[in-house]
Amino acid sequence: MNNPVSHNPVKVSIRHLYKIFGDRPSAVLPGVLAGMGKAELLAQHNHVLGLRDINVDIREGEITVIMGLSGSGKSTLIRHLNRLIEPTSGEVLVDGENILRWNADQLRGLRRKTMSMVFQKFALLPHRTVLDNAGMALETQGQSRRDYEAEAQKWLARVGLGAYGARYPHQLSGGMQQRVGIARALTSNSGIMLMDEAFSALDPLIRTDMQDLLLELQSELHKTIVFITHDLDEALKLADHLVILKDGEVVQQGEPQHILLNPADAYIEEFVGDINRARVLRVRSVMSESAGSGRYAGEVDANDNLEHLIAVSGGDVSLSYRVRHQGRVVGSIDMPTVVKALVPRRVAA
Amino acid sequence: MATYDGLFDGLGLRGWCDGGADAGSSGPMSMADLLAKAKAGEGGGAEAASWWDLPIPSLNSLHEACAAIPQTRDLTLGLERGFLSARDALRVVLDPLTQPLSWMLREMIDLMVATPWFIMLPLLLALTWVVSRSWRVVGLVALSLGTLALVDHYTEAMQTLAIIFVCAFICVLFGVPVGIAMSRSDTLQRIVTPILDMLQTLPAFVYLIPLIFLFSVTEPKLYGIAIILYAIVPVVRLTDLGIRLVDRDVIEAADAFGLTARQKLFRVQIPLALPNIMAGVNQTIMMSLAMVVIASLVSAPGLGVLVLRGIRNLELGVGLVAGFGIVLLAIVLDRVTKSALARIDASKARH
Repeated sequence: MNNPVSHNPVKVSIRHLYKIFGDRPSAVLPGVLAGMGKAELLAQHNHVLGLRDINVDIREGEITVIMGLSGSGKSTLIRHLNRLIEPTSGEVLVDGENILRWNADQLRGLRRKTMSMVFQKFALLPHRTVLDNAGMALETQGQSRRDYEAEAQKWLARVGLGAYGARYPHQLSGGMQQRVGIARALTSNSGIMLMDEAFSALDPLIRTDMQDLLLELQSELHKTIVFITHDLDEALKLADHLVILKDGEVVQQGEPQHILLNPADAYIEEFVGDINRARVLRVRSVMSESAGSGRYAGEVDANDNLEHLIAVSGGDVSLSYRVRHQGRVVGSIDMPTVVKALVPRRVAA
Repeated sequence: MATYDGLFDGLGLRGWCDGGADAGSSGPMSMADLLAKAKAGEGGGAEAASWWDLPIPSLNSLHEACAAIPQTRDLTLGLERGFLSARDALRVVLDPLTQPLSWMLREMIDLMVATPWFIMLPLLLALTWVVSRSWRVVGLVALSLGTLALVDHYTEAMQTLAIIFVCAFICVLFGVPVGIAMSRSDTLQRIVTPILDMLQTLPAFVYLIPLIFLFSVTEPKLYGIAIILYAIVPVVRLTDLGIRLVDRDVIEAADAFGLTARQKLFRVQIPLALPNIMAGVNQTIMMSLAMVVIASLVSAPGLGVLVLRGIRNLELGVGLVAGFGIVLLAIVLDRVTKSALARIDASKARH
């Protein structure tokens, strides 16, 4: 994660996606395409604009986080990726193919083999054991328990539940149930994982554990992950690519550090105003790429966060450091720059 | 002259009324007509009708003013004639279709009565154990059946049980699929619900009237059908409800993992609806027991016959003991199915 620039190929591409909720969405679509607003649509036609002209590229092996407050359309958006919800207009390309043209069989194949999903409320089968739940994807493809048992057990062990296969979901805590949810998604061996507010129902400590687990798995498995959340800290921790939704529209998307340092409008500014910038911002985002003159007090890694740097400097603002990434010197950073970066930027006063 | 003459005269329908038929005196006289006639003969001359006595404009009172309007008894007569003329056609279709029911009931009753008690009772207790896995319930069943046997009601109890087993089995056999179909189609639900309401509220005796015309009273299927129509309602309703109540998140997960409609039904919806379906089965069994006494009017054997004897011959003791026997059977069947339900709930508890 956190590569300065992404060069990974695009795995899923959302193109001009619109979703209108109401009795006759296609009838009001032309008006929306022509620029009718959400409030106007509701007042004049009694239709709700769910998503409006969404364009997002989801790159292979990256975690794309879609963030927004409730009602922003983020859960609606993720359900378009496996067509649990049908769009009113637009395209969803998976490996270059428009899945909206696919028939029921192709779609079922997509859901079984290409995309798996993790749910906010876990959505495990309460009448099946943990092991059977983990093997659900393979069982659906027609494998008997003997066939899927080893695979399911492997992934259960990988998420730390190796000893719980014979239990039932209701016997586990919320965090453990969601681990089963993740194991279920991993057992399908699909390349794409959709995570719909997967950690939102968990308490904060468990949530941090789960985020760490996800990052650890990701460093090893390099799945294409689409992660939905309303929590900015979570978004910044996980995201390689961050998409911010508001009222069904993309307000800003890009590398999270970039969004933090260059908020596109007052909404984003307000959004990022409350977070601990020192913990989120990394050296590489604020360093200068020229090797500065003068004496260095030491070396830091490009992916260290500013909090770490401040701790290393002991609060002395006169120091500067050389920045290394993967053994190479990539630039330098001095403490005044660090302090300036901690001040939230305002687009307009 | 009749009260509503003025109405038809005013509407200019007099010609139609009188021209339709010279029906004024064609039908047989009703008792009310006779009484009126007698009264008129006695009192001589009608008193001036006050507006206070204005009759409700029913078919009968309108008929008095206008002969072309049929009397209410023509309606009931028409229904009866219609049914009778359709009877032979209905019988050709329904008779073979329902024949297996007669066969099943007869065989089941024969089997349960003919099997010696020292085989039958352990068999029933073993069945109880398999279903409930509770020694307490097995003990209750043993005690209840033992009591019934002690007071020489063993044969009747077995006949009643046999009838209930067969009818409840058929209710489940047809009720569960209907309930599933209802849960999948709102249109079907809108159509079936009023039918279920009607089956449930129609007085139990009313089922018997057309059935007596259709089938011979000596055939077991007569009371079988009456019991099934009455008792099938809860299992249909609760299957529909149970499947509709399955957690939407779980259904969404099933869709997201690419389950086919069939896989979803058998691996997710039915298992999760099972507690509700079992509650429906419990209610169905209870309701078929409630119909047993009424069914004995049309030759259903069992405890109901004894209750009926109690009523007909005013044999207070016989009726009370048999009624108490039915209560015992009800308790036994209820506890056994409830403990089966509890067992399902415990192993498949929701979080």
